[in-house]
Amino acid sequence: MKKLTFALCAAVTAALMVWGFYQAIYVAPDEQTMHEVQRIFYYHVPSAMVSFLFFAISLAGSIGFLSFRRNHLDLAQASDAWALAGAEVGVVFCTVVLITGPLWGRRAWGIWWTWDARLTTTLVLWLIYVSYLLLRRFAAGPQMQTYAAVLGIFGALDVPIVYMSNRWWRTQHPAPVFGGGEDSGIKDPAMLAAFGWNVLAWLAWGLLILALRYHVERQQQKYAAQEAQDALEV
Amino acid sequence: MDQRAILDHQFTVAAYAITWAIQLGYLAWLGLRWRAQKRDAARSHCDPR
Repeated sequence: MKKLTFALCAAVTAALMVWGFYQAIYVAPDEQTMHEVQRIFYYHVPSAMVSFLFFAISLAGSIGFLSFRRNHLDLAQASDAWALAGAEVGVVFCTVVLITGPLWGRRAWGIWWTWDARLTTTLVLWLIYVSYLLLRRFAAGPQMQTYAAVLGIFGALDVPIVYMSNRWWRTQHPAPVFGGGEDSGIKDPAMLAAFGWNVLAWLAWGLLILALRYHVERQQQKYAAQEAQDALEV
Repeated sequence: MDQRAILDHQFTVAAYAITWAIQLGYLAWLGLRWRAQKRDAARSHCDPR
């Protein structure tokens, strides 16, 4: 039953990805000033939105781990697995943002990178979560999960700063597409539809790999617990 | 097609291709890790100690 559900979700996600790609490349019209290169927007912005969601999941997992670690061990381990899965998939999406952004910027602004608030805070966010993953990979001992949870909570504090950066400061990065004042928003319905489909497609893809990553981590925890039990019995 | 349009096209293709390479690369890494985990679990069950 689980396998069937997973296969169904994977099929829906694949269909959404193909439809999103079709909408972005063949249906949405060329933007008037940036022309074809503006189509990077349909992958760049949804990836950023989805990465924020996954960092929020990581935050919730980290808080859950710290809350449950003394009284509800299994719940704490599940929370920790969500925290790790959220951070890892979030880093993957954030990497996409940090690569597609400069590609777009090079054509739109003539530069690959500038140290403006939006770009810098996004890079800092990526570095914080990469350090979180490195800590989990290389640190050992019973306190590792606790340290990682604390770092995960502090890392998530950067998410609202990234989101608000081009509202609080004048930046090279364009003004917010949504919620940025009277002029914000996508006016063309075909562009809006292409954007919406791609948000949905990348969200479905992200949730699918998040579920996979969570499952792998939970299995890992079970094997580690079993090995520890076996070692005690020998 | 003028030079600008060709470059725009190349940058767009690069962005889409890199996005897919990263996402599918991560999925492949996850799949390999899952497979290795299953293999280790099967081996430890067979281990008589």
